[in-house]
Amino acid sequence: MSVGLALLALLATPLAHAFAVLAFSRPPGLRDFVNIGFALAAAVLAIFVLNGVAAGESARIVLARPLPNVDLGFSLEPLGALSAVVVTGLGFIHAVHAVGVVRAAQEKAPARLMAFMALAMAAALAVAFSANLFSLFIAYQALILAAFPLVAHRGDEEARAAGRTFLATLLASSIVLLLPAMIGVYALAGALDFQAGGVLAGRVGVVGANVLLVLFVFGLAMAAMPPMHRWLTATTRAPYPTLVTVQALAVLPTGGLALLKVLAYVFGAALTTARASAIALLALACIGMCVAAAIALSRQDVRERLAYSCMAQGLAVVMGGLLALPAGLFAAALQIVATSCAATTLLMASGTVNAITGRTSVADFAGLGRVMPWTFAGFALASASMIGMPPFAGAWSRLWLITASASSDLVWAGALVGVAAVLTFAHLGPLAASAFAERAPADAFKRPDGASILLVAPVILSAAATLWVLVVADPLASFLSPVWTPP
Amino acid sequence: MIGWLAAHPWQGVIVAPFLGAAVAMAIPHARLSWAAALLALIGAAFIAADASLRSVAPHPADGASMFSAPLLAVLAALCAFAGGGALREMRASVAPFAMALALCIAGGWTFALLSADWIGLALGVETAWLASAALVALAEVKRGALNGALRMLASGGVAAALMLVGIGFVARATSSTEIAALLNADNAALCIAGLVVVLIALALKAGLAPLHVWAGAAFGSTGALASMFLGVVGLTGALALMVRVGAAAAAAPQLATGVEAMLAALGAASILIGSVQAMGAANVRRLAAYAFASQAGCVLLSVSLGSPAGFAAALVQMFALAAAMLALLGATAATRDASLQALDGLGRRHPVAGVAVTVGALSLMGAPLTIGFLGRWRLIEAAVGAGWWWVAGIALLASLAAVFYGGRLIERVYFRRAASVATLDKDPWRVLIAPTLAAAIFAIGLGVEPSVLLEASARAAAHMFGGAP
Repeated sequence: MSVGLALLALLATPLAHAFAVLAFSRPPGLRDFVNIGFALAAAVLAIFVLNGVAAGESARIVLARPLPNVDLGFSLEPLGALSAVVVTGLGFIHAVHAVGVVRAAQEKAPARLMAFMALAMAAALAVAFSANLFSLFIAYQALILAAFPLVAHRGDEEARAAGRTFLATLLASSIVLLLPAMIGVYALAGALDFQAGGVLAGRVGVVGANVLLVLFVFGLAMAAMPPMHRWLTATTRAPYPTLVTVQALAVLPTGGLALLKVLAYVFGAALTTARASAIALLALACIGMCVAAAIALSRQDVRERLAYSCMAQGLAVVMGGLLALPAGLFAAALQIVATSCAATTLLMASGTVNAITGRTSVADFAGLGRVMPWTFAGFALASASMIGMPPFAGAWSRLWLITASASSDLVWAGALVGVAAVLTFAHLGPLAASAFAERAPADAFKRPDGASILLVAPVILSAAATLWVLVVADPLASFLSPVWTPP
Repeated sequence: MIGWLAAHPWQGVIVAPFLGAAVAMAIPHARLSWAAALLALIGAAFIAADASLRSVAPHPADGASMFSAPLLAVLAALCAFAGGGALREMRASVAPFAMALALCIAGGWTFALLSADWIGLALGVETAWLASAALVALAEVKRGALNGALRMLASGGVAAALMLVGIGFVARATSSTEIAALLNADNAALCIAGLVVVLIALALKAGLAPLHVWAGAAFGSTGALASMFLGVVGLTGALALMVRVGAAAAAAPQLATGVEAMLAALGAASILIGSVQAMGAANVRRLAAYAFASQAGCVLLSVSLGSPAGFAAALVQMFALAAAMLALLGATAATRDASLQALDGLGRRHPVAGVAVTVGALSLMGAPLTIGFLGRWRLIEAAVGAGWWWVAGIALLASLAAVFYGGRLIERVYFRRAASVATLDKDPWRVLIAPTLAAAIFAIGLGVEPSVLLEASARAAAHMFGGAP
């Protein structure tokens, strides 16, 4: 199979996944088999595509040409291929976990939930492989529309309000800020294609570059840059499979990835022209990162605490991208991988706890590690990665972030990364520790048979993935080097 | 006969609906009358499409008519098709009259659009308007339709008076009643004043805010057939006439600035007021009328740019708007109830209508891969090219507002349950809505491969400025 065909198959698989889950929604066993099978197929295809990119192969798929000189197209590039492997790999693990959660929690309309999760993954992959700004915009909008039913899944007034906030924040920012930014790039460059070194390099003045950078950073509200982060904290009452999809797999990481693609392929060298707004935005991201970690500390509901924690991690991606250095871009890419692995683990572990014990309060987690040791072992490993403790994935991205900050003479930014890490330790460390240190509760389980393998094994697997970056950090740097190296 | 039609296709496009109206009224049976009306409109649509494809311009340098007349003819045929499913709303004895009035609406607007002089334009507009008011009253589904019709008559009377005054000014300034004589206006100030008055009269009939005093009452209480012909054919016809008059003024350098300033102000006001009203509407047909006002404001802003790119953008947006209105109003014809609550759970109860509402709403929002997005992009591109950044900002505001009112529709269709258990509609004529909605969806789907539409709009825009197509 050629790599181009594999790319097409990879983009089509989650779409087929969604339709197949709806078509085979009964019996539940068949539905779950289809759900896991398609997720596995997507992961295998993503690895095939990644190998193709590593071997220097290229491919471009053009679906339509809605505007002169602008295709609706997808192409292979390292950042997208890496993101696809992370999204589909963790997506496969999450598909297994989602099966366990909908069974244990007796979630309503499980086939619909799984179908929209698959559609969100499809849109996230489309963002990852988008060949130009127009395709990215369309895939980004598709992701918003695919994730909205997940947020509003429960259908009660609270869910509808969360859905409205989600839709209004993301759609409004993309229309009012991202669309004009895209049109601005088209007006300046006459094209929207992504290219290493930046399509705007040498074509934009200081004012234009600064304005466009601000429009892009706030327009891509999925990156959760304050004050555009309301959509993230509004979704905390959604079902756990939704939380994993929104906060750890498809939406928040895709926001970071889209911003990285814009910074690397649209701005490139032009980012130095926009230094004034870059520094201001960097400061906002750093402060936002620390504030989000501090707010997480104050939240007593695990879902809210993890939402703010994920936001802090997401802002580290923004920070890396804005540093305008290869080291910063690499740190941001690593941060996406690390956050996805760790946040997926934390949210799946919390989902397991909620499905089996019905607990969501931080105080109620005390002692649960003694009766659910595997789940909380995964929780502890993922917490260590989020904090940035070596040798877990988060440590390396933090190290590169601090290095890039120092190289840019922005020592204060590096210091704020350290402050955020301390605050993350404060809101996740005691939670993981008390789960093991406190006495086990007498009435831990609402289900007499405890957690099934479908709920525990995925947590362990994704926790193990947080060690993966330790092994592949160096090869990743050379794999990603075309992103910041002009041809 | 065929030879005459080939030589004079546009006359055929005008005559066919009026002949069809006479035949439809003469047939006492509702369904047969509908079939006759449908045949007449399909014939008109076919002749118009053929003439347009053969690039037979109705008048020299009249690209707006060449683009809009076929669009109007096809829209009328589709509305008549879907109207077959809506005939159940009215008494069988009334249906032939309703069909005849619907055809008069189509014929009147087409006549006005293809007329070479101001008198013919005014005559066509008034014919269509009076037929619209009568159809609104005749197709009453709840109390208040007569009030809507009376409001239309009253405001239409004011508009007719304004139009005659404006035409008088223009005729005095150009010493002619020919529209093409604008190029030779002796008294530019008087001519601009006349054109502004004519455009205000047309804006009232196109339902542009804040002149749309009749729209809420008329759309809120009339039936599906009337709302489709009024909302899709009538409003689009009036808007197309405004584009035509704007194009004629833009081609005359001494008139362009004044008329464009008026169109820009009216367009901006319509966007702002229409958007606010659409966000607060509790009835789908009213919402559609207010959304039309908002989106039509974008069309006027495009015209006000005064460039071929602006006119091409206006035509694309007009096409998109007509398709979205057809989808939305067609869907309400299928639900029999135009309240917002009637949309609750529609995606489950009537998937075709649910898809139509969704696609119409997405196009109004300017969502990617719909014609609405293409039209909005073209407008912003043309505005940025002309340095009119504020136009780009207002167009984005229109999209933002559409996200709210369009999102509300989609939420109801897919994320709410019906308050009461819906009874299954067993009327077999209900399926007539499907091809209409499919046509609207297809038209909106041109957003994926819009080269045909872009080429047609660019050719029409080039015609307006006297250039080679």
